[in-house]
Amino acid sequence: MTSLGKALIDFVPYIMAFTVGALIPSRKSRFERFTLGVIGVLLLAFVRGLWPGVQQSSAPAQEWPHLLNVVVFLPMVAAVVLLLLPRQSAGFLKAFTLGVLLVDFAVSLLLLRAPMDVGWHFQYIAPWLPRFGIRYHVAVDGISFWMVLLTTFTTPIAAIVAFGSIKERIKDLCFALLLLHTGMLGAFVALDLFLFYVFWELMLIPMIILIGVWGGVERIKAAYKFFLFTMAGSVLMLAAILYLVITHKQIAGYYTFDYLALRHVNLSHTAAWLCFGAFALAFAVKVPMFPLHTWLPDAHVQAPTSGSIILAAVLLKLGSYGYLRYCMGMFGGPAWAVGANLAGLVIVAGILYGALVAWRQDDIKKLVAYSSVAHMGFVMLGFAAATQASVQGALLQMVNHGISTGALFLLVGVIYDRRHTRSVQEFGGLASVMPIYAAIFVVVTLSSIGVPGTNGFVGEFMVLLGTFASQSLGSFATIQATLATVGVILAALYMLSMVQRMFFGPLSNNANRSLPDLTVRETVVLAPAIILIFVIGLFPSIFLDRSSQSVTAVIEQYKDARRAYQDMPDDSNRAVLLPRRGGPLEQGYPEDPSAIPELPTVASAVEAKPNSAGGQ
Amino acid sequence: MDITSPPLLPGNYAPILVIIIMPLLGAIVNGIFGKRLGRSAVTLMALAAIGVSFIACVFTVWLLIASSHGPAPVTRLKWDGWEWLRLSGINDIGDIPITFGFFVDALNGVMSLIVTGVGFLIHLYSTKYMQDDPSYHRFFSYMNLFIFSMLVLILGNGLPVLFVGWEGVGLCSYLLIGFWFKESANAAAGTKAFIVNRIGDFGLLVAMGLLVRYVGALDFTGIQTGAAQLVTPVEIWSGTSALAYVAARPFEILGITGAAHWLLSPGYATAATLVGLALFLGCAGKSAQIPLYVWLPDAMAGPTPVSALIHAATMVTAGIYLVCRMAPVFVLSPFAMFIVAIVGAVTAVFAATIAFAQRDIKKVLAYSTVSQLGYMFLGVGVGAFTAGFFHVVTHAFFKACLFLGAGSVIHAMHARIHDTNAAQDMSNMGGLRRYLPITFITFAASWAAIVGVPFTSGFFSKDEILFQSFTLSVASPVASGTLETATGPISIFVSPPWVSSVLLSLGTLGAVMTAFYMTRLIVGIFFGRFRGWAIAAKSAHSSEPEVHSSGPAPHESPWAMTLPLVILGTLALGAGVFNAAVFHYTPLEHFLASSFGKFENIKPRPNSEQLEHVLLLPGIFAFVLGTAWASWVYLVAKGQPARRFVERNPALYQLVYEKWRIDELYRETIVGTLELIADICVWFDKWIVDGILSRVTSFVIALLGSSVRLFQTGRVQTYAAFIVLGLGGISWFMMTPHAEAAIATDHETGKYKLSAEPGIGYGYRWDSNGDGQFETPSFGDQLSIDVELARTERRTVTLQVRDIFGREATRKFKLERPAEEQLGPRNTRTNNNPDAAAQPKDPSARGQNELNAPSHAIQPGQPQ
Repeated sequence: MTSLGKALIDFVPYIMAFTVGALIPSRKSRFERFTLGVIGVLLLAFVRGLWPGVQQSSAPAQEWPHLLNVVVFLPMVAAVVLLLLPRQSAGFLKAFTLGVLLVDFAVSLLLLRAPMDVGWHFQYIAPWLPRFGIRYHVAVDGISFWMVLLTTFTTPIAAIVAFGSIKERIKDLCFALLLLHTGMLGAFVALDLFLFYVFWELMLIPMIILIGVWGGVERIKAAYKFFLFTMAGSVLMLAAILYLVITHKQIAGYYTFDYLALRHVNLSHTAAWLCFGAFALAFAVKVPMFPLHTWLPDAHVQAPTSGSIILAAVLLKLGSYGYLRYCMGMFGGPAWAVGANLAGLVIVAGILYGALVAWRQDDIKKLVAYSSVAHMGFVMLGFAAATQASVQGALLQMVNHGISTGALFLLVGVIYDRRHTRSVQEFGGLASVMPIYAAIFVVVTLSSIGVPGTNGFVGEFMVLLGTFASQSLGSFATIQATLATVGVILAALYMLSMVQRMFFGPLSNNANRSLPDLTVRETVVLAPAIILIFVIGLFPSIFLDRSSQSVTAVIEQYKDARRAYQDMPDDSNRAVLLPRRGGPLEQGYPEDPSAIPELPTVASAVEAKPNSAGGQ
Repeated sequence: MDITSPPLLPGNYAPILVIIIMPLLGAIVNGIFGKRLGRSAVTLMALAAIGVSFIACVFTVWLLIASSHGPAPVTRLKWDGWEWLRLSGINDIGDIPITFGFFVDALNGVMSLIVTGVGFLIHLYSTKYMQDDPSYHRFFSYMNLFIFSMLVLILGNGLPVLFVGWEGVGLCSYLLIGFWFKESANAAAGTKAFIVNRIGDFGLLVAMGLLVRYVGALDFTGIQTGAAQLVTPVEIWSGTSALAYVAARPFEILGITGAAHWLLSPGYATAATLVGLALFLGCAGKSAQIPLYVWLPDAMAGPTPVSALIHAATMVTAGIYLVCRMAPVFVLSPFAMFIVAIVGAVTAVFAATIAFAQRDIKKVLAYSTVSQLGYMFLGVGVGAFTAGFFHVVTHAFFKACLFLGAGSVIHAMHARIHDTNAAQDMSNMGGLRRYLPITFITFAASWAAIVGVPFTSGFFSKDEILFQSFTLSVASPVASGTLETATGPISIFVSPPWVSSVLLSLGTLGAVMTAFYMTRLIVGIFFGRFRGWAIAAKSAHSSEPEVHSSGPAPHESPWAMTLPLVILGTLALGAGVFNAAVFHYTPLEHFLASSFGKFENIKPRPNSEQLEHVLLLPGIFAFVLGTAWASWVYLVAKGQPARRFVERNPALYQLVYEKWRIDELYRETIVGTLELIADICVWFDKWIVDGILSRVTSFVIALLGSSVRLFQTGRVQTYAAFIVLGLGGISWFMMTPHAEAAIATDHETGKYKLSAEPGIGYGYRWDSNGDGQFETPSFGDQLSIDVELARTERRTVTLQVRDIFGREATRKFKLERPAEEQLGPRNTRTNNNPDAAAQPKDPSARGQNELNAPSHAIQPGQPQ
């Protein structure tokens, strides 16, 4: 009886969550009720499972080494299978794609079972091109795993949106989405620079196709622009990678493309600056940072809604993630030296400039695109300030921006599907015809401008307060932080002016008189984002706790790299290999193949796993 | 009841959750399900939520009062909540955990009583006032959400949680001002309120950042403990920076050396001053002080109960609450306190001038609110925290009553006119005391309180502020009055002695004006004859004035609206008993003492005791003068003197009627500049950034492409011609001798090797010792030559080549061996072993320091 009673009591909150979720919609759609109920239950399970201090399963969970392989390559395999399916059965193709993406999301949730203490998790290493020291090396830490989850969370939403509004070339669309998914995930988990570069370029192609095939009137131009900007940066990055690899070969005696090994190469000052510049350029284009941001408004405006969602939610994050992982991880010295200037640039030319330009836009998508420049400015400011709070805040801000800007693009897509215009002037007084739409739009807006209680606040708050206490910005920290805080005012200015002109006032345009409110599909797609806005806003600890140790480690490494850079004489033109510190962060370090009699095989790499999984 | 039993005190005091969660529940239920629930259920939910919350507040405050005596007094009850997020102090030292927790002590206990108590009355009032509104449920959802946010604001355990409520109330205010969003003006007023409030929030964020930097805590207990660290000089102006140089340059050129010198010397402020001023910017935004008061009068676009609750009784007093709560920080900065007091006093007078000329009764009350808030800041600014806070309490009663009374009047007028603006216009009213007796009596009671009729609540609170503003002064927080800085000691600002007289005069002047315009208001509404029988209201549909000459007579409101009026009116008259300082009966002050503590550097002037009764006179004088004057003008002379004044000074009247055109001034200067900058940014983005990155690059590429394309004509003859030209060029190059050599350098050993580049049929001769004579007179086939140099030696080596046609080419190579191994300018180490350079300075701190890989030094770019 007691155990049964206990089990029942355990279930009561879930039943209540289901009931509340199911009660919310006022329409007579059973599907909507059911889905919202399920979302309620999942949400409760999510929060309870991640609550800090909640005991995970008693024994340290065995990390399944193939988990990342499955998450990354399931969509790609599915894409190949998709090629064999008939083009005519669009419905089946859609269901198949969506199913695969949802399964991928579900599988990726298993990542949450790891405690995410310092070090690499779900690591998998296999030789790929041993002659050049290229390995298939994937792993996540407390930083990248949130990005993986953000990706697996976003793409299904984008897919549902795409299937709602796009009617032609469904098979191509599905293929592009699946391939894009693999590319993005791979870039987040790759720890081999060759592999990273392959994924980095892999995601470019489907994105161009998304923009160029299903985009707006000037889609070809926008796709070109997107491609050329990104390409220019990444080619330089490739050159820097090759330089690093050759330098490593010269000082250590063997080839490797592995991140763990290459970040031990302490380059001479000139070389470090050039390589840092090449990497930083590639990532600055992606973030995007002033003055390389001009591809973004064009790409967003021309891309279909689903493309904009993926672009804003995930692709931009690859830029900031790359900066944190590679620029700060491998070139700590130059990154530190530009820190204060970078902070100044992202404040003046990102946060303030982006906000002011956004304010004067009439096209809603352009407005949101420029607001992305401002929001990503906060992220980069957090990295430049390089304190525990600011980096964690920046990471959270990346997730937040993904959720709220993704939702904003989705909402813009909703109105675009109905009116085929994105001009604010065309609207006004929409709140009286589309009350639910207006309410959700306002909620997302509040999240975007960082009203406390929503997710946007926590990220900005941590970045700003971390910046106030930053040491790396030197004596300018206070002034820079104060200036960045002005961005908070401007955010309210541009978003609320837009909301006011779109939703309030008299219903002036007759074309808007009979617009239907949100459909069931749109509500269901928006619901998770809305819920996450509040969950992250109120309980950010469930996110921050899992990244804190990795962030501490990253900042430590960053400081070490800076020290090594400063110890290197100015005019020295010799690179040196930094001593290894061992520990979980160097687990999987590529050893000299000549020193080890036999090459590590797949099997031995897997076997090496268990004792290191929960090692500390 | 044993109140010291563990479950209630003081670990986790759960009833505090009841106080907070009930309004949230009401907001959610009404917001999501309200439309389906129906009006009566919405009413029940909203009222029950606030009612239960109020009862919990009463219980909590009773508990606090009961347990504040005895050997182990309990002065705060708290609920720790959950860890929200975690910040780090400067240089990543010290964790600053931010918990989402709440606490109650005397200060916020009283405040929450007002919020829930007055809030409940206004909710009750709204059930009738908003009866016919189609968005009834939305209204109550917002109202409940407001109460929730306000409770989070005042009960939060630190600045971050306070900030949640702070922005939350701003948001609710935004939503409620724009409640009737179909009119553009209302929505614009809401947006304006939010953005102006955000400017204040900016100040609060900066204050939090500075507190993290200088104190390392954001919860109130931590701030109180560490506040002393704020008395530290901070350089806010560097005399040596380029900016200082640029700023000083014009003065130097003009010969104003004093100003130039001042600009070129460093400026300091204490951290406490910076924090205090930043906090006060936040307070000025929320509590509508100069320069951020402009949103509050526009906020009257919202429904009248909203104006009563948010824009008079509760939200706008949040700024006073913040100053009271942060009193330990403010008292450390006499300068910040001085600014608070002077801004408060000036606002009190300035807002009163605008109220003189307004005809819209809500606008008059709005400016009156701004003015009264100024009094409160005047009080807290001189260190009279209790007096300032007591004015919050009494103001909540009488101003809520005034607004609700105005609402009752508007309700009655609206039944006749159906035009919001005309229904609020004083010139359409008059003589209403016959039709709205209860409203009139309660309105008159509140009028008595606000103008300071002796022994009403307003008399006690305002009088105490005036008295304290003259007698109290804030002394320097450090005994010596100076602080040491890098460039010598600086003295801490202390407000000069004449300031207290100025403050008292401004306060008295404001009181006279208050009495005048409030009397004008009450006379205009309730006395004389009713001017509303024939109302010329401009209808929205036609430009012709529409004359309502018939219609129902104005009637008294239903009980749900009059009951709150009666209760609030009674409190407005009688609330003075809580803190009748004149009679030395001050229960509120005793209760609040546990929250405020004692501040050493706030001192009354000597023999202030004797002044206490003398200083009653300004208040009474202000009331008598203002009331008598206004009664004579508007009651006896029927407004003739006022009309004559307007006729004589039409421009002045127009200026005051248009609120000194401050809105227009802001619009032209601040907003205009911002718009200009934004437009420049847009232009810059389009033509410069995108222009260079996209257009110029694509143009250059296209240009290159087109010029290269010119050669690709497809005609074999052209290609053949180019081949011939190319062959000719190559031949010419081959037939010219080139004396080139590569130098292998090794400064370490001093050995240098020069290797000449071979050519067909070349002969070589060298001069390696630099004497100008070639070692071999004839040309041989010696391709390379070794040279050895001593330290610091220089030598010129000459190479001459001759080709088979006998033409010669000569080239000189300058060699130099440096004195010592060159070191970097920054690097002072003598040992330049790069392997050692990469070693950590402190190997023990590095954990496992194993060198697995062999490390070689190489020269990048030159593979070995």
